[in-house]
Amino acid sequence: MSDKTQAIFTGDRCLSCTSCMANCPVMAAIKDYRGPKLVGPAHGRMHFSQEDIETSLEFCSNCKNCDRACPSGVAVSTLNMLRRAEYYKTHKHTQAEDMIAHGERMAKLIRKIPFGATFSNVGMSFGKSLGIFSKLGLAGERDMPAYAATAFKDKFNSIKQTASGKKIVMFTGCFINDNEPQVGEAFIKVMNANGYEVLIDKGFNCCGSPLVVTGYLDEAREHADNNVARILDWKKQGIPVVTPCTSCSLMLKEEYHELFGEDKFHEAAQNVYDAFEFLEILQERGEFNENLKPLNQKLLYHVPCHLKSQAIGLPAQDILEEIDGVKVQTADAGCCGISGNYGFRKDKYEISMKVGAKLFERIKQDDFDKVISDCGTCRMQIHHGTNVKPYHPIEILAKAY
Amino acid sequence: MEKATVVVIGGGATGLGILRDLSMRGVKALLVEKNDLVNGASSRYHGLLHSGGRYAVKDQEAARECIIENQIMRKIGKSCVEPCGGMFTRLDIDDPAYEELWVKGCSDSGIEATPITLDEAFRLEPRLSRKHVKSAYLVPDAAVDGFRMAWQLIDSSKRYGGQFKTYTEVIGFDSVNGELRGVKVRDQFTGEEYEIACDIAVNAAGGWAGFVGKLAGVEIGVQPDKGTLIAFNQRIVNHVVNRLHKSSDGDIFVPHGSITILGTSSMSVPNPEDTSTSRAEVESLLKIGEETFEDLRDFRILRTFAGSRPLYIPPGGAVGRSASRGFAIVDHEQDGLKGFFTIVGGKFTTYRLMAEKMCNQICAKLGNNTPCRTADEPLVEEVSQEDKDRAKKFFPSYGVNLAATRLGVDRFKKVVERLESEPESRELICECENVTRAEVEEICKDDTSFIVNDVRRRTRIGMGTCQGNFCALRAAAIFADMGVESTAKDSLTRMREFLQGRWKGIRPVLLGRTLRETEMTRSIYELSMNIKGGAPQ
Repeated sequence: MSDKTQAIFTGDRCLSCTSCMANCPVMAAIKDYRGPKLVGPAHGRMHFSQEDIETSLEFCSNCKNCDRACPSGVAVSTLNMLRRAEYYKTHKHTQAEDMIAHGERMAKLIRKIPFGATFSNVGMSFGKSLGIFSKLGLAGERDMPAYAATAFKDKFNSIKQTASGKKIVMFTGCFINDNEPQVGEAFIKVMNANGYEVLIDKGFNCCGSPLVVTGYLDEAREHADNNVARILDWKKQGIPVVTPCTSCSLMLKEEYHELFGEDKFHEAAQNVYDAFEFLEILQERGEFNENLKPLNQKLLYHVPCHLKSQAIGLPAQDILEEIDGVKVQTADAGCCGISGNYGFRKDKYEISMKVGAKLFERIKQDDFDKVISDCGTCRMQIHHGTNVKPYHPIEILAKAY
Repeated sequence: MEKATVVVIGGGATGLGILRDLSMRGVKALLVEKNDLVNGASSRYHGLLHSGGRYAVKDQEAARECIIENQIMRKIGKSCVEPCGGMFTRLDIDDPAYEELWVKGCSDSGIEATPITLDEAFRLEPRLSRKHVKSAYLVPDAAVDGFRMAWQLIDSSKRYGGQFKTYTEVIGFDSVNGELRGVKVRDQFTGEEYEIACDIAVNAAGGWAGFVGKLAGVEIGVQPDKGTLIAFNQRIVNHVVNRLHKSSDGDIFVPHGSITILGTSSMSVPNPEDTSTSRAEVESLLKIGEETFEDLRDFRILRTFAGSRPLYIPPGGAVGRSASRGFAIVDHEQDGLKGFFTIVGGKFTTYRLMAEKMCNQICAKLGNNTPCRTADEPLVEEVSQEDKDRAKKFFPSYGVNLAATRLGVDRFKKVVERLESEPESRELICECENVTRAEVEEICKDDTSFIVNDVRRRTRIGMGTCQGNFCALRAAAIFADMGVESTAKDSLTRMREFLQGRWKGIRPVLLGRTLRETEMTRSIYELSMNIKGGAPQ
């Protein structure tokens, strides 16, 4: 037992207190899920008794509200993901699962075809209207994330930056790279304004989050090994890795070592920052560029579950409130329900919408100018559930420079 | 007056083995036990079905008996034996010369001890100390569940007309002219005293055999020898892991269902009722245990418990670890009481053999020539795969086999039928050990369930991680509705007893997570129900 923070060793800490069950948004939405405590730590000590599978394990969305609720530090959702990986050792993935776990691979294929993104976006909207997605096992009600004409990494070199001795490496994340490059551009503008030149590392893989939640643990491990080797390389050069995607940062900072438990994952985690966490550190050091243009905006902030899990507070709110005229109010409506690729599954669509209902209601009160959220899939869910276009907080901040 | 040909005193493995054996030979037998079944050393133990490896150097006769009985139990006890296998590991601090003696001892005693490479040992038992373990062997040890076995012996005896009464204490004997006429008993709950007429009485009271002997006016050389054990919250080992050295304290780990048991100590005590455990004993066991498993202290302890081995001490014999693990049968006709026998000493693993020898003598007296068949017939029928498959639809996962073996064919069927037809009966009463309402109700209804602890021993409620935190209230409520009326009506007392039983084993290990868990339990019961620890008022 070299690493006590590895999830498999945390099951022993469970006090059966049931806080996780009370805080599980999926349980509240569907009674078929037996709940984090029973599926994670309780079964963790029972599964020696016979070859068996907890069928309700499929309901866990890995939103991590259970981990946060746990007063004893049990990595409940990661225990669930480890069991899910066990399940897929003897069960085949469906085509839909293969698709939603491998967004990165799919995007790379499409980028190789001239106008691939356009064709594929057209194809996806046809696919949706013809009911093909639904037949595959995907949520037919949803739009699949549309591909940007040019991926962020492909346009990166053409983005003008102020050269600087201070550098950071941006971990773009798949969603920003393939679907929302404008968030990446805003990120560069903000970092430049704060005296940092942004580098990218084309050797990074997808963080592995979609792989973990879909039970492709071995592939996720390959991604983790590759990414961590690179992060440690950057660390040696004294260059931090910063990402505007909260699920990526959670994976890099926390889930890798919970899942795989080696010292290198801890070490690498120390060199990874959420974008606003990084800015807040600059602010504490008195290095944050406070030369901000006023913006008269009332923002409703949906805090992603995966940001809450990082226990770094709400740095985006703190920073945005530095802008004159900006008011940030948290939506305080729990999980949005989509939880990565969870809500893209046909059989989980309804659950994800039920979980998100409270947030949708809150947004429909329409007492703000814009909705913001750091997480790409949260933003998709908000758009789908309310037809309101949400923004990454860094897009707002970029406007103030 | 109630009558039986033979009254068996003591509901431990030996007494129950005798009840079964006599019943199968057609002798009308009745067992009385002053508490619930296996209240003594037959459950307060490792739950180890010895291969004999433990005795291969010191006592080869015991070793041979063990391996033979081990093979018999694996065959007849499929629903209470977990054939996990055993491993003997020698550490760097252990004498290599002993290893040679042991290998020879095993071979001489007919115990298959297969040497394995260290790589293989670490693959099979990943938590073994890579620093200390120097050699390893596989042996046919197994885990055996004392509670399951006890009730399966009862089920088997009942098929042949065997009877039993729990919570019925022997308070005296009735004899005329040196010839036994009956056994006087008292009902522990009603206080009613009565006599059971019999031709023969067998004192199989284990650690209490001396007290029972005294009631009959005979002296019996039995020394209760207390052993303390620790139960861990999860399976640390996959096999029974023994230390390959001269038998000593704290050198055996046994996996049981969801938990691991480490033990034991050895301490002469005047009274077998003394099942107390201390922090010092726990510390000493951990200290020895962590030589084999370096990270042992990182694993959460559930509780400690203790039981007394009934060591037979012939006049002038040795005590403690040096005392023989052999057994003795005494016909007290020699002491002037015809029809009274005592069987004492021995080991859980050889309970069947002991019973067979005892019954041979009794049957000779009774002129009954029926041969012993206890080694040939399974204790209980196994639950069919078909029934298990049906159960899987409603049962919590990982729970079917465990429930099937503890309930047996008929009760399991009934429970599954209820789970099928009444969705609310699928509720988990004990979330740690996966026990459904249907199962708890089924056992509560049994007329041998007098207190909630009886239900616990047969279902495992309250024996998992939270040690009764959530199930105490639920189980006490169900018991109040369905248990034996005379005791169930005092539901608050039943719940206190249950909680006290749990806390007794927790007090010496109030550390770390166990302390946090217990504080939560205490606050739930004290703050919300004004039950202050359930301590006696």
